[in-house]
Amino acid sequence: MPLGIVFTLVIGAIATYELWDNRTRELVMFWWGLVLLVTAARTALWLGYRKSGNRVSEARQWLRWLAISALANGANWGFAGAVFFPSHTDEQQVFLAFLLAGIASAGIPTYAASWPMFAMYAGAVVLPFAYVLANFGNRLFAEIALLVPLFYLANVGIAYRLNQVFHSGYRLRHAYGRLTEDYTTLNKRLERQLVELDEARRQVEASGRKLALFAERAPIAVLELDNQGRIQRINHAAENLFGWPANEVAEKNPSVRILIRPEYHAEFDKRWQELMASRVPLAHLRVRNPRRDGLEVVCEWNVTPLVNPEGEIVGVIAQGQDITRQMEADQLKKEFTSTLSHELRTPLTSIIGSLQLINSGVLGEVDKDIAELTGVAERNGQRLLDLINDILDIEKIESGKLSTVPEVLSLDELVRESLVLNQGFAERFHVRFQLGGALLPVKVNADRKRLLQVMTNLLSNAAKFSPQGEAVEVTMEDLGERVRVSVLDRGPGIPESFRSRIFGRFAQADSSVTRQKGGTGLGLAICKRLIELMDGRIGFAERERGGTVFHFDMPKHAA
Amino acid sequence: MPAHPLQRVCYVEDDEDIRKIVRMSLERVGKLTVEVVGDPLVAIDAMKTFKPDLVMLDWMMPGMDGPTLYRRMREVPEVRDIPVVFITAKASEKELNELRALGAAGTISKPFSPKDMAEQLRSIWASLP
Repeated sequence: MPLGIVFTLVIGAIATYELWDNRTRELVMFWWGLVLLVTAARTALWLGYRKSGNRVSEARQWLRWLAISALANGANWGFAGAVFFPSHTDEQQVFLAFLLAGIASAGIPTYAASWPMFAMYAGAVVLPFAYVLANFGNRLFAEIALLVPLFYLANVGIAYRLNQVFHSGYRLRHAYGRLTEDYTTLNKRLERQLVELDEARRQVEASGRKLALFAERAPIAVLELDNQGRIQRINHAAENLFGWPANEVAEKNPSVRILIRPEYHAEFDKRWQELMASRVPLAHLRVRNPRRDGLEVVCEWNVTPLVNPEGEIVGVIAQGQDITRQMEADQLKKEFTSTLSHELRTPLTSIIGSLQLINSGVLGEVDKDIAELTGVAERNGQRLLDLINDILDIEKIESGKLSTVPEVLSLDELVRESLVLNQGFAERFHVRFQLGGALLPVKVNADRKRLLQVMTNLLSNAAKFSPQGEAVEVTMEDLGERVRVSVLDRGPGIPESFRSRIFGRFAQADSSVTRQKGGTGLGLAICKRLIELMDGRIGFAERERGGTVFHFDMPKHAA
Repeated sequence: MPAHPLQRVCYVEDDEDIRKIVRMSLERVGKLTVEVVGDPLVAIDAMKTFKPDLVMLDWMMPGMDGPTLYRRMREVPEVRDIPVVFITAKASEKELNELRALGAAGTISKPFSPKDMAEQLRSIWASLP
């Protein structure tokens, strides 16, 4: 561009000098002025472009200006050709023709960026000249006028080719730049991933070490088996428990069958095959395991097959907990419970029986003071018996041995029956049992005896805590899918601090009450467990104007 | 219901105190004729002599438990048809069902109420064919 500007000025100056004569002085002056003006504008354009900050985004605009300047520049020379050719001498005509041809071809490098721009420029230079030539009235000139567009097209063709070469050059450079850029980014990313990978590897190693430490120091026996059942490694606890040294095991890889009694080997093999096929981890397997010294321990095993991403079993982890002592304790507890139930009840039977016989009066009248004392003795004997029964109940429920015998029964009839059966409590504590509204004829699926036991507990509690002369009310309520039975008393209510543990074992708000009125502190705990065994819910609430409401909700029996 | 009212009851029980209470209860409250036997091994002989309407057996006894004695009775023609009621401290539903399956006429759970025992026996007696 700058070269083009300088070139234009120099050629322009030479042309002005050559064309100068008296006849056309004003016209030549005017033309020279145009050349200077256009050149100044092009210079300004070039300087503006150089200073521009965002040539890329404004490229379209710059191109437009460049095209305008090219057209103006070309038109300038075209003007010179068209105007000065006819009016000047033959020598000057040759000069002009030579000048225009040179100017037109010089445009090729200047406007190399865009061939249409060159076509516009060169067209502006040579076409007016060709027109003038064609209309000159000279045969030779007319022939030249025919040749000019041909040369013009040839030049445009060259510009076009050049343009293509430039473009592919640009593309190549651009692609190369992109490649370099991509390569750098890729490199950076790779570097980052390498760092991450290294970190991950360190973490895996660390957790691996931690895991190994866990296994090694765990209080439970851990065996690592291969998929053939050969022991690869054992931890310290396993070493201690079974008496096989860890290094010997790691060296010889004996079959895990060394920990199973020979008579169970066949069964073990079968289960091992099943495990290999199903791949489902086994839990809570109780096995009697022989130790190396011949003694036996009972272990509870969790067996987990290790499956790799390809779905193959690569090993098996077996974790065993020595439950020998626990089994002994369970046995002891069972024996104790049995003893409690038989050995304690037998003497109590005699004690309570004797006192009952005396107190019933069938043996004749006894002295009033003696009767009072034997009454105390009988009541306390009964209390002791209740306690034993409650403990046995709780023990049975908690060990899952209490089974309910559900039957479809009329809840309203059962409630009515419970009021009759527990009349004794009402009399003893001087309260009245009464129905608060009509009972609902609803059927439930429940264990009759156990539901009566719950009613007895709730009624006796209500009787115990009600002030003398008050009524204990029993109501039934329809809750849709469930039916609620409530026992309402006018007692002192349940202290805030006691509410959270009222259904706990040996729970009593005030232990002095126990001594006065009996009760084991297990009643509500049993009620809760019994009701829940029968798919019900139990709860309590404060009663309006004082007292407490205990209620249980049972699912209705779907007819 | 048997043709005649319950009159004679034999009770086999190893605990001497309980024997005493049961005898007193059945005699005084129930007005029944009672024979108590402490040793299950001689019980069948005692029954042959006493000829009770109904026999009460304790479940747990040293030497021979109630169910075993019951099975022995079934092998002796003179006593095989006497209805048997078990007295047991075992309260579990399962065990009571076992006894009924054996053919027991009824069960009375321990500890029993001496006031009500005769009444309980009479209602079992009434329910017999």
